[in-house]
Amino acid sequence: MAFNEPVLTKRIDADPGKRKLHFYDDYVATGGYKSLRAALDMTAADIIKTVTDSGLRGRGGAGFSAGQKRSFIPREKKGLHYLAVNADESEPGTFKDRYLMDYDPHSLLEGVAITALATQVDVAYIFIRGEFHHEIKVTEQAVKEAYQKGIFGQGGIFGSKHKLECYVHMGAGAYICGEETGLLEALEGKRGWPRNKPPFPAIAGAFGRPTVINNVETLCCVPPIIERGPAWFKTMGTPSSPGPKLFGMSGHVNKPGVYEDELGITLDYAINKLSGGMKGGKHKGTICGGISMGVLGPEQLDIKLDFDDVRFRGGCLGLGTAGMIVMNEHTDMIRALRNCVRFYAHESCGQCTPCREGSAWMKKILDRILAGEGRARDLDMLLELEKSQGIMPGTTICGLADGTAWATRTFVNKYYEEFAAKCPEERPTQMGIKRGIRNVTTPMGSNTR
Amino acid sequence: MPKITVDGKLIDCKERQMVLQACQDAGYKLPSYCYHPGLSIPASCRICLVEVEGIPKLVPSCQTPVRDGMVVHSRSPKAVASQKQVMEYLLINHPLDCPVCDQAGECSLQDYSYEYGRSQSRFEEDKAKKPKKDVGDNIYLYSDRCIMCTRCVRFTREVSGTSELYVDGRGYREEIDIFPGKPCNNKLAGNVVDLCPVGALLDKDFLFKQRVWLLKQTPSISPVDSGGENIFLEYNNGVVYRIKPRYNAEVNGWWISDDTRYSYKIIQNEKRLKSAFKKEHGSLTKTSTREAFDFAVAQLKSLAAQSSGSLYAMLSPMMACEEAFLLGSAIRAIDPEAVLILGPVPSAEEDDIFRHSLTGQQTFVIKAEKVPNAEGIRRVISQLGGPSANYNELISGNNPLLKNLKGGWIVGGYLSNWIKGALPAALATGFRVVQDILPTTLSESADVVLPGAAWAEKDGCWENYAGKIQPFAAAIVPPEGITREGDLYLALLGRTGVYNAQAIRKEMGEPFAAVSLPTEHVQAPAMEFAEL
Repeated sequence: MAFNEPVLTKRIDADPGKRKLHFYDDYVATGGYKSLRAALDMTAADIIKTVTDSGLRGRGGAGFSAGQKRSFIPREKKGLHYLAVNADESEPGTFKDRYLMDYDPHSLLEGVAITALATQVDVAYIFIRGEFHHEIKVTEQAVKEAYQKGIFGQGGIFGSKHKLECYVHMGAGAYICGEETGLLEALEGKRGWPRNKPPFPAIAGAFGRPTVINNVETLCCVPPIIERGPAWFKTMGTPSSPGPKLFGMSGHVNKPGVYEDELGITLDYAINKLSGGMKGGKHKGTICGGISMGVLGPEQLDIKLDFDDVRFRGGCLGLGTAGMIVMNEHTDMIRALRNCVRFYAHESCGQCTPCREGSAWMKKILDRILAGEGRARDLDMLLELEKSQGIMPGTTICGLADGTAWATRTFVNKYYEEFAAKCPEERPTQMGIKRGIRNVTTPMGSNTR
Repeated sequence: MPKITVDGKLIDCKERQMVLQACQDAGYKLPSYCYHPGLSIPASCRICLVEVEGIPKLVPSCQTPVRDGMVVHSRSPKAVASQKQVMEYLLINHPLDCPVCDQAGECSLQDYSYEYGRSQSRFEEDKAKKPKKDVGDNIYLYSDRCIMCTRCVRFTREVSGTSELYVDGRGYREEIDIFPGKPCNNKLAGNVVDLCPVGALLDKDFLFKQRVWLLKQTPSISPVDSGGENIFLEYNNGVVYRIKPRYNAEVNGWWISDDTRYSYKIIQNEKRLKSAFKKEHGSLTKTSTREAFDFAVAQLKSLAAQSSGSLYAMLSPMMACEEAFLLGSAIRAIDPEAVLILGPVPSAEEDDIFRHSLTGQQTFVIKAEKVPNAEGIRRVISQLGGPSANYNELISGNNPLLKNLKGGWIVGGYLSNWIKGALPAALATGFRVVQDILPTTLSESADVVLPGAAWAEKDGCWENYAGKIQPFAAAIVPPEGITREGDLYLALLGRTGVYNAQAIRKEMGEPFAAVSLPTEHVQAPAMEFAEL
């Protein structure tokens, strides 16, 4: 296992001053579109097999096998197939896709074209978050170039019989549209409310047709795999999570930014080697992959950052997008959790009752704790409420609610003392009035007023 | 046919049916808010979550297709915990103003709170406050009571196809709203009030009029058009307060038009004829029904004695088939050559067709023919045989049969003034007995005026445009001074006894004899006796 040279960021200089936006000519000059030409000589099944063999797992958060995802698309084509590129990167702490689109948009387009070959896609949509004005411009420019150079358009990919159209679709800045079926709804011009599954998008996705939905980074991994083969890809990372990964380091570190390394590096390595060490104090916790994955505690610096170790040993939902928010010892964890929950209360699409009402309720409890009105039972309440929401217990349609749940679960459990200090046991005062706010849970008729 | 086990009960299902629907069909209740059999399935309220053996997660029963041998638990600890939690969630921002809420008594939140909820809320924070909105001519939206089931939004998209309502905002701040300046005023808009499982969407017409637990229901049929929409009349103390749709898959599904919904207002119309009149010394004077009736019968008999074929009966398409049959028979008993005339059949230019806003599939039709029983009257007239004509022939005078008419029994009963403009010459001459519920220029110039009963006040049956004969029952008694037509016609025939629609239908033979109220709706006959 070794990470010797940058793969995804090979065109992006480590020195921010020297970074350069690569359009078509620069891209081809640095070896671009070689994989696409190679893929044109392969059969669809071969491409899928190569990607599956490489063990590439989706970089959008869930870590689902990318090759397997492609294989769900019906082999026999009965109509249009779609590819939706999820560039709606709105997870707090995550800024890796943006980095790729900023400097190397054609690597995404090459990944799109190869995936289109593998799954017989006719139309690709790049769904970019509305706030990414610059990235939208850059990607649109790159798509325009790709049309001129004969990659997209009715001429067929480099003159082959496979035709591919590609559009850049601008989102309106809702977090929920990063959920794959929410994205499809938004793509169809509807409100971004996630769909019930089944049917899965691979069978009935955009406009009711089979649709592949992939993250930007996942697609950017495809050209190197085709070019250099699955065996090479597997030399990086761990057996279950092979390959390179972009780590978005932010928070209390000396050199925040996007760093590429292999999967399976330790958190300690990511903080101290990649991003120049802690700033302002000792390590207290790290949100490991966007706030929906939960937090790694102060003693968990040895956790390997891959899709499994974070989950099974780290006690989080998973690696997620590897957008790390590092927090030092002076961080108020209640404030941090309140910030996470506030985000979910704000971004909940409002479809399922548990998420819509639960996230807002949890936010209000945390607001109250921060205002100094916390009570011991609030923590039990938080831990009970988080259990009642998410796709894992099955109470919501999509996984957004799991974000609220896991953030709350890990924060409260790993920093229980800190929370408990703000939530003292109640002491009845002279008149029997409980300290703090009005008490609405008192049974009716009991004389406590 | 697949069979599933729900909470230990074996339930027969149809192929590809959803668990919730299968349970409902079998009479086993599972809670549901967002699910409605007539709309798409969003599975978003999450109250119907159940445990299915073999699936580790809870699944929404409304969206889980049945599989043979499936074992479903809706009362397992996990499912019950979820139900309790969802109920608590739904109530945290609900104002709990049941005492002033119109929905109280028929509210799913109340029912499920009792059955599935917890007795106390643990919510100690401030409730989100949302405004009341005026979303249409007939509809108020109390957004604070809304639980975001989106049934109303789906209705306007999938049934009325007008898409006036939408969800505004996101998360706990979201509300149902209309687009600025585009109120929800389509002809099916009232259905969103019925659909609303809580008291968020309210009918302005019914607002604060009556507590729903005081209302009694009687099955009836819409009087406004030939579609024959099935309805319930809801009344208390002899006053009909509202009309609700009655499910009939073959006719109207779950919906009714707003015209039907507010048609009950004719019953309470201030202008309604409430007593009989007879012409004395050239002017109409108020009299008792009995006296006016006796006078009319004597006059008609003397006219018939002078020459045969001089009488006619104008049978209104607002009459019940039984009434038309009795009046037709009675007038033929007086004058065997009497002409039976089908009254005017007002019609809009074309049917109002509603379509799904996306698929374009036809979802509902409001018929152009604005009377409920033109088909039934035609059938009765042809069953009775003998000379017959229609209204247009009567007023144009083209039919030779109608040349020497000297007197007739004219039935109106339309929901609005049916004589537009000047009184046609054919209706202005001869001895005219007019039976109507609203005064018209005809009733003002008639020789005898008898007040009629509205459809909610009598039993009978109507045949809709498609030939489906549907019975309706009396919900209330007519106002004092009004005798039901059926009783009058029995007297006209010289028969004793009280009008009984079911017995008359037996007399009329097929296809009427086979018509009867759905057994679940049959009530003990009201102990009302005719004035005569």
